[in-house]
Amino acid sequence: MSTLKLDNISYHYEKNSAEVLDNLSMDFESGKIYTIVGKSGAGKTTLLSVLSSLARPTDGKIFLNEEDVAKIDRYKFRSKYVGVIFQNFNLLTHLTALENVVLSMDISGKKFDRPKKEIAAELLEKVGLSPDEAKRRVLKLSGGQQQRVAIARALSYDPDIILADEPTGNLDGETQDEIINIFRMLADEGKCVIIVTHSPDVAKASDVQYELKKGKRV
Amino acid sequence: MYIVKNAFKSITRNKLRNILIGVIVLIISVSACVSLSIQQAAEVAKEDTLSNLSVTAQISFDRKKAMEDMQQKSTSDDSDSGSDKSFDRGKFDFDVLQGSSLTLDDYMKYTKALKNGDSYYYSGAVSLNATGDLLPYGTSEEDESDSSSSSKSSDNKSSGNSSDKNSQTPPNMPSGDSSNSNNSGGGPMGGMPFQVNQGDFTITGYSSYDAMLSMFGEDGSYKISDGEMFDETSEAYECVISNELATYNNLKVGDTIKLANPQYEKETYKLKIVGIYTNSDSSSEEDNRFKMNDPANNIYMNYNAFSKIIAASEKADNKTTDSDGNKTSAALSENLAFTYKFASVENYEKFADKVYDLGLSDDYKVSSSDLQSYENSLTPLETLSGTAMWFFFIVLAVGGIILITLNIFNLRERKYEVGVLTAIGMKKAKVAMQFVTEIFIVTFIALIIGTSVGAAVSVPVTNTLLQNQISSSQQSDSKVSKNFGFENSDNNGRPQGGPGMSGGEMNPFGKSTKAADYVDSVSSATNFMVILELVLVGLFLTIVASLAALISIMRYEPLKILSNRS
Repeated sequence: MSTLKLDNISYHYEKNSAEVLDNLSMDFESGKIYTIVGKSGAGKTTLLSVLSSLARPTDGKIFLNEEDVAKIDRYKFRSKYVGVIFQNFNLLTHLTALENVVLSMDISGKKFDRPKKEIAAELLEKVGLSPDEAKRRVLKLSGGQQQRVAIARALSYDPDIILADEPTGNLDGETQDEIINIFRMLADEGKCVIIVTHSPDVAKASDVQYELKKGKRV
Repeated sequence: MYIVKNAFKSITRNKLRNILIGVIVLIISVSACVSLSIQQAAEVAKEDTLSNLSVTAQISFDRKKAMEDMQQKSTSDDSDSGSDKSFDRGKFDFDVLQGSSLTLDDYMKYTKALKNGDSYYYSGAVSLNATGDLLPYGTSEEDESDSSSSSKSSDNKSSGNSSDKNSQTPPNMPSGDSSNSNNSGGGPMGGMPFQVNQGDFTITGYSSYDAMLSMFGEDGSYKISDGEMFDETSEAYECVISNELATYNNLKVGDTIKLANPQYEKETYKLKIVGIYTNSDSSSEEDNRFKMNDPANNIYMNYNAFSKIIAASEKADNKTTDSDGNKTSAALSENLAFTYKFASVENYEKFADKVYDLGLSDDYKVSSSDLQSYENSLTPLETLSGTAMWFFFIVLAVGGIILITLNIFNLRERKYEVGVLTAIGMKKAKVAMQFVTEIFIVTFIALIIGTSVGAAVSVPVTNTLLQNQISSSQQSDSKVSKNFGFENSDNNGRPQGGPGMSGGEMNPFGKSTKAADYVDSVSSATNFMVILELVLVGLFLTIVASLAALISIMRYEPLKILSNRS
């Protein structure tokens, strides 16, 4: 079952500028880990932006379960259907780890059968943060810990698709393995995990690899 | 709901910034509360004073206009002969300047212009001489001989104690604001034909209780100490006299006094004393150079009886012969003071228009000293209110600009926050709403504190400012008085009756010099209206301060913010 489908999408930042993404077609299915690899400037992060609806493709279409994503409200799409783990985390640093997670649950507008705080605390524990760390302000957490908060936030509202941009870039080998394990676990739970990465280890651990070169699939 | 929760959290997280915004809003709201309260107090004072105001008006001859007309006529006549344009005294027509006195019938005719609730009253005054043993109060042995010889002296007043009461001034001698005449001094008026025959007593006849009230009731200084008030409707020659006069002549209730026409001593009238009054502030400020001006020599009766005296005198048709052998009538002529009383200012204004339709000549004008003094009394408060209004707008404008600036900086700082929130799917409108909620909460907390402080201080502040305003008005008044030589003026800036002046009723500015009875304090200033206006001020400030936030947030693109940052 195709969850997310790119149909000949192109993207350029300004009119008449070169295509950053050039006629890309890709399929992403649930229950699998996908990695998108390529050199810097190949268009990986841009692809992730397009996938998360932060940017609209200048040409082509994206389908979510055969529904044109262009017809779905971008904010709703981001807050409900996809969980994005940004390269630089994009956490609200003056909030605690727990508050960051709860906030995205609030924004999603989804109903939860248990108190949000409880779910958030559990999630943070699941990604490896102690309850004490969960109550700390993000500013006072290490890079690896912030990475975990970002993952927990992306998972908090139970999206079908997880998008991650260099999720292991700031982590040591051991922690990297832990994170990969988390992604594997998510895929096993039936989520579609799409990871942009430079790391061969992460790519190796994935089910499908897509390589980009100058905005084109290799 | 989480938006409000987030807003509160955000406020507590950024204490310093929000305290700064709060302090600014606090200053604005205290200032706004005080300014609005001053304006409201002025409004309330205006309405209160107006609702308690009984508007009375007189019709008086417009001497200023007559003078101007005459001067114009004179110069246009002269232009034919080519002479200079200076005013020829020979052409000074006092008959014109006097104007023909309006008769009681005339005045009654204009009562048709009155509306429901309006009323009128009138009084006549005439001066009579003492006869026999009766001596006017204030006569010493040596001047007893010429007690009736002062008739050629001139004075602007004929009904003695009228200096504070315009209603007592005869109609042909306009008082109050009626005239710019340079003739108000005693000297130039020596030869004027409309002078009153000076007697020992002023006999005043009142048409109604209202008329008497205007004389007796208002300041409570008059009181019947013996006997009773004369019957309002009776035509009997009954009168009340002053305690001083009664004691001086050993008179009591039930006695009869005999008074004579000062022009024709054989024409006498007997009045029965039915009551004796005391006047607690008699003889204090009055111009007592003439006995008829001494309030102790005022004799009061009702108008019916009074008019009988006038009619009898006319009927007697006695004549006097002057040094040239010309015979002139010695009949008593009354000085009629007619007062229209109005239920409202509106009625007064309609009346002032309508009388001309009823045939009043343009040479006369309708004026109300009550209304004038009402307007004068509010001058300081209104000046203050005007200043307060400007102050309010300036504070609002400056405060608004500061808040906008602060919020622009605030938003630049929080740009990343906006980027993250929108990137994780929070709608821009919601982000904007959260920011506006934050400003709103801070503004309203500051506004509530500011309003409380403002309400607490507004009354004392208003009163202090009002006192300053009044004292500065009084200073300028007294400076003007000083510049024009009234250096002896008393605290109220009222000139004392000097040789050239007639007891302080008129000054060269054609304006009553009696100090205006300023509204000098307010009891409550901050009312529901002010609070409502302050809520609007709060909304205005929130909107102004949020405007920058709203516009910027709507223009932000999360991808741009975040990619710029990374």
